[in-house]
Amino acid sequence: MIDSGERLLLEESVRAAVGRARGVGKDGAAIDAALAALGWLELLGTEPDAAVDVVFRALGAADATATALDDVIVSALGTAPRADLAVLLPGTGSSDPPGRTAGDRLQAVGLATARVDTAGEILVVCRTEAAPCIVTVPTSAARVREVRGVDPDGELRTVSVEESAAAAMPLDLAAWEAALALGRRAVAQQIAGACRAMLDLARGHALEREQFGHPIARFQAVRNRLADALVGLEALDATLAVASDDPRTETAALAKAVAGRTARTVASHCQQVLAGIGFTTEHSFHRYLKRTMALEGLFGSADGIILAWGRHLIASRRVPRLVEL
Amino acid sequence: MALSNSSILGSREVGEIAEFRRQLWDWLDAHCDELAPTHPGTATLDDQIAQMQRVKSILFQAGWMRFGWPESVGGWGGSPMLRTELGAAIAERDLADPGLYSLIEVLAPTLIEFAPPALAADVVPRLLSGAEMWCQGFSEPNTGSDLASLSCRAVPDGDPETAPTWVINGQKVWTSLAQYSDRCVLLTRTGSADSRHRGITAFFVDMNTPGITVKPLEMINGVREFAEVFFDDVVVPADRMLGARNGGWGVAMSILPYERSACFWQRIAYLYARLQRLVDVVPGDDRAAEVVGEVFLQLHALRARSRATQHRLAAGATLGAETSIEKVLLATAEQTMYDAVRRLLPGVVEMDDDPAAQEWRTEYLYSRAATIYGGTIEVQRGIIARRLLDLGRDQ
Repeated sequence: MIDSGERLLLEESVRAAVGRARGVGKDGAAIDAALAALGWLELLGTEPDAAVDVVFRALGAADATATALDDVIVSALGTAPRADLAVLLPGTGSSDPPGRTAGDRLQAVGLATARVDTAGEILVVCRTEAAPCIVTVPTSAARVREVRGVDPDGELRTVSVEESAAAAMPLDLAAWEAALALGRRAVAQQIAGACRAMLDLARGHALEREQFGHPIARFQAVRNRLADALVGLEALDATLAVASDDPRTETAALAKAVAGRTARTVASHCQQVLAGIGFTTEHSFHRYLKRTMALEGLFGSADGIILAWGRHLIASRRVPRLVEL
Repeated sequence: MALSNSSILGSREVGEIAEFRRQLWDWLDAHCDELAPTHPGTATLDDQIAQMQRVKSILFQAGWMRFGWPESVGGWGGSPMLRTELGAAIAERDLADPGLYSLIEVLAPTLIEFAPPALAADVVPRLLSGAEMWCQGFSEPNTGSDLASLSCRAVPDGDPETAPTWVINGQKVWTSLAQYSDRCVLLTRTGSADSRHRGITAFFVDMNTPGITVKPLEMINGVREFAEVFFDDVVVPADRMLGARNGGWGVAMSILPYERSACFWQRIAYLYARLQRLVDVVPGDDRAAEVVGEVFLQLHALRARSRATQHRLAAGATLGAETSIEKVLLATAEQTMYDAVRRLLPGVVEMDDDPAAQEWRTEYLYSRAATIYGGTIEVQRGIIARRLLDLGRDQ
């Protein structure tokens, strides 16, 4: 495990690399190249928890896109990640495997990163009656469409595949759950990074913008909104720290749910404080808002996770404590 | 970016705490009959106090109450988180009300840090063992969130440097359990009227001193938990001063780390137990699932935050403004929890009179104070804006 000093260095170097590449173009390929040069895959192999936390936090903070999520999911599924291999993600709001098999046929619909544009193969996890299975299909067999949606710069694709499932291999349910958990943590970190950026923007605006002869940061109504945004963000960071310290399906799911809730709270407070300028595309706030809107549904929404947890609590009539001193 | 907890924890300490928790829970399981409340029906406050003191006495005799306290006051040393675990277990098992029990966490450390060592060694074991009750005389009729404005006056009988006694006149209010208390940690004005936090001195006052009058106040839930306390020419020996003359603000502020760590963790444990109680009786539909899921999520985030804070404290950090974050989270989660009770058990809090409903009602009404006591939520937001977001002064 890396120590806190090494981690700070890692955060600094990732932030700097993402920042430099961010300026090169809006295409995530530059970010991918920068991460590869930093040794992203090696880090993911040896320190997956720190790698996911640090890299996705930096992506969120810089409003950057990358295809690193493919590597995270692929490696958690037990396959060696490589640039030529994309992975099919569950559709927005879903946390189920994106594929299903019927006889020897595979049908799958889901999301993918821009890696699917260039990769030769796509890894697809399928539900079956029994355990899940995993199939590698050629990208040529997939129909790929660019997602415009609220966040065209997010570089997501919708992918549908109909193929032979003859080459399907059984997959441990635990491997799918581990991939889901790591994916949720990655997205939650990215949302947290974006939320922190939104708060920084709103804070800076509140200190500079003058109305009625004062910076608006002097008005309690404005201060209270920013304070509540920080409360939400700190709670999110605490749940993310637990998910990293005690990596389990449950802690990752809850961190993702807190991220979804926090994104809405922070965005709403910050947008109100930014007021007119935050309503324009001249100001960078809108990019963070739209990015978090797009990310909220990946690997299941907050509402979905909360409902599932509530059902579980009531069915078991037991309230577990996931955090101990 | 916050560091991962793993980088700040000593794994040895975490292992010790887990082992302590396991042994404690085994012991509590084995002694549950002895520890269970003995009063019939719904507990009155008298019943609750008697139960709490009885439980403290049993736990002190058995040694559990000594872990985490320094040897100088009869403790057995070890991480303060050990006593936090004990308080949480007591709250989870409904052996004592966490709000009443956790007063020891704000009173005993004050004596240990600021009283003459012989005094602390004499009185702290009495508090821990349930032989005595103490209270905290801070708030006044005109002094709520603005503690530095307090006016209850202490005057030396002669030269302040050498006076053998001090004479106290004034009034305190919202003094929890004053009518049950043997002693009071009291903040007084010893500087000029406008000296604010520079002119406050703390005393450790025996409540049976002539001139002290206690008038219990009935809270919105019908419980007479706190009181007005009047001081008329109350004579206190100078050696009962806690800390330095005019050093009372430091005494008051020293309580914050304990209140915001151990006490919060105990209250969080209590809220988990109450969510369990709710989950036991809610209908099995998706509306209920959404509501309890939301409460669970808030409690989880709060517990995660509180854990990080306590490990920072154990690692030597000084707690300060950043604990206003968990104060807001705790107040919000507590009210969300009891709002959920009203939503999912319609009519119970409002109309029913069976013992379970009476408890929900009492607790629901009490939960409305969560955004008021210990510094209102507005004060916390003010601290967050000023100190954590560095937004400068407000208007």
